[in-house]
Amino acid sequence: MNEWLLAAAILGVCLIPCAAVCMLAGPLSGLAALEVAGSLTTAVLMLLAESFRRQPFIDLAVVFGALSLIGAIVFARLLEQDL
Amino acid sequence: MTTWRSAAAVVLLIAGGGLGLVSTLGLVVMRDWQDRVHYAGLSSFSVFLIALSILVRESFSLIGDKALATGVVMLLGGPVMLHVTLRSGRIRTLGDWRRNVDEERERR
Repeated sequence: MNEWLLAAAILGVCLIPCAAVCMLAGPLSGLAALEVAGSLTTAVLMLLAESFRRQPFIDLAVVFGALSLIGAIVFARLLEQDL
Repeated sequence: MTTWRSAAAVVLLIAGGGLGLVSTLGLVVMRDWQDRVHYAGLSSFSVFLIALSILVRESFSLIGDKALATGVVMLLGGPVMLHVTLRSGRIRTLGDWRRNVDEERERR
């Protein structure tokens, strides 16, 4: 296990508290947790691509990073109304 | 790879991973949603640092360029995401995002 894979594993474990906050806290706290989880997942995908030395894997991180930002903004706009 | 580049990549990796850990810890420890939102910005900055560490290690290759693009997108999009989240939260809780919090307290 190299340092990149170790960092990916540690940040992957950090997704569990984010999921717990999403499920247990209110909608706005859940949105904040979703944003943190999106950033962490983007970092994990980049670290896995670097760890395995597979260049196509980095495309997943590029697409996921952009889509997580757009998804968070859409969720935030939807939460303006009382759903 | 030269030694200083390897060391710089590891330092940036530790800094980015540490920021990711701190943002997760802050998300769990803080009680209010407005406090928790601050850590979303911190986590987007951690992605940028990790992208920089990959760029230092790989130089301007295919994987380094795409990691840099991802980091820049997260760095520039993070504040926009934060602003939209806080604005939506204020509209949801106060009815209008321009309303002053003190004014709302006096009204109650």
